[in-house]
Amino acid sequence: MSAHGFKSVFMVGAIASAALGCYLVSLRVASERAALESVENRIVLAQRDIRLLNTEIGTRGRLAQLERWNVKVIRLSAPSADQFVESSFQLATLGKPETRPAIEAPVIYAAAPAPARREPVVTNDDGSGPALTRATRPLGEMMHVAGYSKPEPKPVRAATKPVAPLKPVKTATADPLGPLPGARTSAKSDGGAGEPRITKTTKDPGSRQ
Amino acid sequence: MNAPTPALVARPERLRLVGQRRQILAVMHQRLMIGMIIYGAIVGFILVRLIYLAAFGDHAGRKGGAIDLAPERGDVVDRDGQSLALTIDAWTIGMQPAQIIGDKFALAQKLGQLMPEKDAATYLAMLRSKQKFYYLRRRAAPGLVDAINALGEPGLALSREPDRLYPQTALAAHVLGYTDVDGNGSAGVERAFNDRLVDQSQRGTPLKLSISSPVQQALEHHLQAAVTEFSAIGAAGIIMNIHTGEILAMTSLPQLNPNAAGNGTPEARFNRATLGVYELGSTFKPFTVAMAMDAGVVKSMGQMYNCPRQFHVAGRTINDTHPFGRACSVAEIMMESSNIGTAQIAQQLGSVRQQAFLRKMGFLDKVAIELRERGRTLTPGKNWNLIETLTVGYGHGIAVTPLHLASGYAALFNGGIFRPATLLKVDPGQKVGPGRRVFSEDTSYRMRALLRLVVTKGTGKKADAPGYRVGGKTGTAEKLLNGRYTSSAVVTTFAGVFPMEDPRFVIVAMLDDPKATKDTYGFHTAGWNVAPVISKTISRIAPMLGVRPDKKREPNMAEVLPYIREKGE
Repeated sequence: MSAHGFKSVFMVGAIASAALGCYLVSLRVASERAALESVENRIVLAQRDIRLLNTEIGTRGRLAQLERWNVKVIRLSAPSADQFVESSFQLATLGKPETRPAIEAPVIYAAAPAPARREPVVTNDDGSGPALTRATRPLGEMMHVAGYSKPEPKPVRAATKPVAPLKPVKTATADPLGPLPGARTSAKSDGGAGEPRITKTTKDPGSRQ
Repeated sequence: MNAPTPALVARPERLRLVGQRRQILAVMHQRLMIGMIIYGAIVGFILVRLIYLAAFGDHAGRKGGAIDLAPERGDVVDRDGQSLALTIDAWTIGMQPAQIIGDKFALAQKLGQLMPEKDAATYLAMLRSKQKFYYLRRRAAPGLVDAINALGEPGLALSREPDRLYPQTALAAHVLGYTDVDGNGSAGVERAFNDRLVDQSQRGTPLKLSISSPVQQALEHHLQAAVTEFSAIGAAGIIMNIHTGEILAMTSLPQLNPNAAGNGTPEARFNRATLGVYELGSTFKPFTVAMAMDAGVVKSMGQMYNCPRQFHVAGRTINDTHPFGRACSVAEIMMESSNIGTAQIAQQLGSVRQQAFLRKMGFLDKVAIELRERGRTLTPGKNWNLIETLTVGYGHGIAVTPLHLASGYAALFNGGIFRPATLLKVDPGQKVGPGRRVFSEDTSYRMRALLRLVVTKGTGKKADAPGYRVGGKTGTAEKLLNGRYTSSAVVTTFAGVFPMEDPRFVIVAMLDDPKATKDTYGFHTAGWNVAPVISKTISRIAPMLGVRPDKKREPNMAEVLPYIREKGE
């Protein structure tokens, strides 16, 4: 009975809350739309700024101005017909391998004994070793002959040219195919006798340097 | 009993009164009801409107509608989208003398310092005058605007007005034209496309021209250098795509800055490329030969003509700069630019056929282009007799614009079809107009070797750009001064086409009255002054236009080489 009596009240309440819900939805939509509009406005303003800045850049960097700079300072000119290449093959023919002058004399670097290199010497020899090696060939240790060319062309050059065997210490250490020319010791290098031992002891660190 | 008591009998007035009252009451009720309904309707309407506004209306914090980005007047851009003309909001400084409150004398002095184009006394006179408004400066720099603003004078009005800006200044000035103070186009594209540029629906999208800025710049630069070097009074240049008729570059010198077009001289504002008509001389000879070939008069490049040192016809004498004094072939006539030989070919062709060909090429009408600045060609008209036919055959006695010449060369080398020149970009997929056939395809093909010969062995050697297979023809025409032709003032022209084995572009350059210099050994002919412009310009623009340099490629020179007698033979 009472429920029946309140039916209209419920109805009114339901309708009111539905209307309120609808209103809230529409309010939400309106605020979203407003936010979107403000974003759009900002986009338009940014586009206007971009246009303005582009205009300024374009005006300052106009072609006539660039041309003036080119004539006065940069002096670039149009490429000639010979500067165009037909194919990748033609491009490759332009890149000749760098011709390096053959080394007449070995390049000699003076080097102070590095502490890191001393360690293997100490560990390999028994007790009295370090003092002895230093005393017997001070020069052989100080002297390092550096190979100038890359490892790849080296064996060819070493095989053909008589100059290659001149580097006794380095050829043995730097070159994986070292033993071949290493047979003959050079007249130039001083510490001939002790060299094989040096190479043996300092092989790994030496090859890296 | 039956007698009615007077007291009980209602008096008729009273009865009437009751009836009336009821009636009045009913009327009142009715009126009240109507009033209530109206009131209710108003309240209801307001309620409905409120609900509607709440549901669909805008909220209170809403800013005005989105700013319209479309400019007052449409932009003009080149074929790559580079801006050539656009409308900006520029500061304008005005003065309202009636509203000045400060010391007029001090103000006038300050204005004189800030804007020195007028002195303080003039400003003072303006401040004291009765006039309502003065423009002090249009398109003022921001620094000046700040300084004026700092004066704090309410009588000095600062406002923003749309203003037309040409960011590339003088580049393609004669193509673009300029606008007047009110923003209406008064020359060039601004005038020709004025309706399109101000149209509400179209101004948002920029107008895309066929002009290519880098190409235009290259042409202007090299032509300007030649004008300076040879002290010419003017020049014109055109580069055109021969298949579509698109104009990639078109210039007229002396230069004009469209940002301040009013400051330019009438000479600078004059568009020599489309408005000026000139006798273009020997550049006409290829047309005569092509006409003769098409008409069947000339059957081979080896056809021989008698080329004496002087040729007397109809009471006139025709001379050559490089006289043969022997029989010469068509190839040789073209190579050495022989007037005598060409005149004989034109004689065989005849006046009627010559005019018909020239009409088909558009040489007898105003030049076909969108611009309004179009010159009227000068022709012999009704007096087109034998001697006129001969002189027109080698480009004298007929004055056309340089653009006519470019269009004619385009028609001659694109397979023989005339298409009107256009300043609007033709997109790659877009179809070009059918055009109208002037020459046969075969003629067009055979002319290639002939013009290449002029550049490799003839008068146009200096126009060659190595690797780009340039073909073309020089032309040196004497100017008419005080009714007489004089050899002291000439118009030199070069019309070139490249790459010649598959022509794609035509380039025309013209110098008006170039002087001889020490470097040219006293010559002022086209081969010495305008041909190098062609060479330099082509070497610069051809890679941009996608033409590959190749020194091994040539057109089929077997068409002409057998008919050349080598020097010393």
